[in-house]
Amino acid sequence: MDLTFSKEDEDFRSEFRSWLDQNLPAEMRTLDWWRPKSEDEQFQIRRDWEAKKAEAGFCGIQWPTEYGGRGGTPTMKAIYDEEMAKSNAPRTVNPLGLAFLAPTVMAIGTDEQKAAIIRPMLRTETIWCQGFSEPGAGSDLAALQMKAEPQGEEYVLNGQKIWTTNAMHGDKIFTLARTSAGAKRHEGISMLLVDMHQPGVEARPLKQITGESEFGEVFFTDATCPQTEVLGGEGNGWMTAMLLLSFERGSSAIGQYTEFKGQWNAVVDLAKKVDRGSGKAIEDPVLRQKLANSLIELECLKLHSWHVLTQTSQGRDLGYEASMTKIMWSETFRKVSDTYEAVLGSAFQVNETVGTTIEELTTLALWSRSCTIWGGSQQVQRSIVAERVLGLPR
Amino acid sequence: MKFQLTDEQRALQEAVRDYLGDRFGQQQVRAFYDANDETGIPADLWKAIGEQGWLAVMVPEEHDGIGLGLLDASVIARAFGACTVPGPWLGTVVAGEAIRLAGSPDQQAKWLPRIAAGEVKAAVALLKQGTSNQPAATASGGTLSGNLGLVEYAAQADLLVVSADDGLDLVEPAAASITPREALDRTTRLAEVILDGATAEKLANGNPLAELVDRAAVLAANDLVGIARKALTDTVEYDKTRVQFGKPVGSFQAIKHDLADIHLAVTMAEHAALYAAHAQDIDTADKVVAASIAKAKAGDTANAATSAMIQYHGGIGYTWEHDSHFYLKRAKRLEYAFGDASQHRERIASLVLA
Repeated sequence: MDLTFSKEDEDFRSEFRSWLDQNLPAEMRTLDWWRPKSEDEQFQIRRDWEAKKAEAGFCGIQWPTEYGGRGGTPTMKAIYDEEMAKSNAPRTVNPLGLAFLAPTVMAIGTDEQKAAIIRPMLRTETIWCQGFSEPGAGSDLAALQMKAEPQGEEYVLNGQKIWTTNAMHGDKIFTLARTSAGAKRHEGISMLLVDMHQPGVEARPLKQITGESEFGEVFFTDATCPQTEVLGGEGNGWMTAMLLLSFERGSSAIGQYTEFKGQWNAVVDLAKKVDRGSGKAIEDPVLRQKLANSLIELECLKLHSWHVLTQTSQGRDLGYEASMTKIMWSETFRKVSDTYEAVLGSAFQVNETVGTTIEELTTLALWSRSCTIWGGSQQVQRSIVAERVLGLPR
Repeated sequence: MKFQLTDEQRALQEAVRDYLGDRFGQQQVRAFYDANDETGIPADLWKAIGEQGWLAVMVPEEHDGIGLGLLDASVIARAFGACTVPGPWLGTVVAGEAIRLAGSPDQQAKWLPRIAAGEVKAAVALLKQGTSNQPAATASGGTLSGNLGLVEYAAQADLLVVSADDGLDLVEPAAASITPREALDRTTRLAEVILDGATAEKLANGNPLAELVDRAAVLAANDLVGIARKALTDTVEYDKTRVQFGKPVGSFQAIKHDLADIHLAVTMAEHAALYAAHAQDIDTADKVVAASIAKAKAGDTANAATSAMIQYHGGIGYTWEHDSHFYLKRAKRLEYAFGDASQHRERIASLVLA
């Protein structure tokens, strides 16, 4: 066992940390700084800041330099994630583009697609949405109905996508649609790269339980897309989608650990202040067990991140074990959030920062409930672990 | 960053498992369970444990040991858990650690080579029964007194290591009142031990009780994850083939989702138990918290996995003739040894919430 990082990795950490020190204002690091700003304002600030970060070379950490990446190692990516979370830096405005679309384009895209998509994404010139889910196709993605009929040199798209992150800010959407009637439901699907700034595409916000509209719906009514804008070839959409989703597998979750540990620390500070009648929350034996238990899960998540990093650094594909990482981080997030709610007790009903309540933590406690749904629900992930990792029959 | 066992440690793991599989498999465990004799360990197994060096692993080389660390010993503990190995290995190793940490050079020279060679069986009474941090006995003028409660292998041991309010002591079993009690888990032996002015020899070099309990807890945690992994693996294999309603029962989501959760918990407990051992070895700042995290997580997880083993085997899992109860009972024993999960969580709270 060797839990240290190489000098090269530590040098990268210092370099990135000192850039953050100089370029991330102290007020932006506080939990509640974002609160008074509108969602559009927040998005624009994040977009500008990310562009600045990219210009300084802190983007595409693990990507080859030919695509504008840094050509770094999985360890450097983990260090980057950790430092981003530690400094409470703004989250990327292109989460799905960076995690999924870009690596897929690098793997199977045409030269034109590589040039048109990757660098503009890194510089936040293009915000990418993912158009997979539909009202009738959630966990069962192959039930998707959206049609894209070939007409001349274009496809004509009709249908609806839902739960689309950044729907109101998107410039383009990589989306699955039926380009022909396949004999089986996985056939006849293509992944299309569609311009969202056209009359046939309408995005509408969906209000979430937090009150925010981080996602929305996207309606396609005779929208068009050139036939050259297929990723992975016409009719190969299902394979392309599976390849695309596989790129999440290398993720170590060290960023999530760092973020949740910060929230846990904030909950501990609150527990010292909240009066629960017979004493402060931190003196309550049941709450102490809860606080300790969420720390146990947090530390296990960190160790699992190290395990994942160890494997990926040695060039191993985690395969379906990646589902374990997703279950683990999202469940741990839920536990930390539950602990926050339990520590506050009746004060949790207040939806503003007053007394011991911190609105951002309340929002995160609500948000944690989405994380066990999106990207493959906990129940889908459990089936994957049971069938693909443990080998139990379908 | 290499959060994994070394090649040597993996080879050790394989060697222990292969050896036990060949010479002391589940058939022999069952025969031992049914015989339930007073020796507490088959003589040839104890001899082999000594010859293989499994007792010498943490004994320094100058005392005829191998001089490795707690992580190496943990690899053995994990295999012992998976194979439900009976005997006073854990007590003897922990007694050796007490003498290594707190013994004078003479005490070390007298006992450690014999412990390493398997010539001595030892038992430890480190904690007052039911507590996770209080010494077992009271010292007065070179003697110890107190009800030590249930002590594993006290009736079979050549040496007792007892914690007192002023340090750790060596006590000869002949000086103690020892009453054997039937153990639920037949891979151990229990006795009630009472000291009443028993002559004791103080370990001369300080009182590392907390450190010793942590090291014992980490070994117990590793035994527990070995149990948990084996219980899960056997259950998954059974549920792949057991057919009801025309399908393997492992195809039902009520079962497979729970098994997936247990696989996740066992994996995390394995991480925690390995890290805790390594943390003691390299003396990290969080080593005390790490020991408690490992013991709490491993205890809860082994409880879940061994309970699931019975439940998802159905009626057969509740029979004496099935192996399920070996794992359940061993897990129950270790779950409450050296502090249970609740006690370790409270300890974590007291360490980190200050």
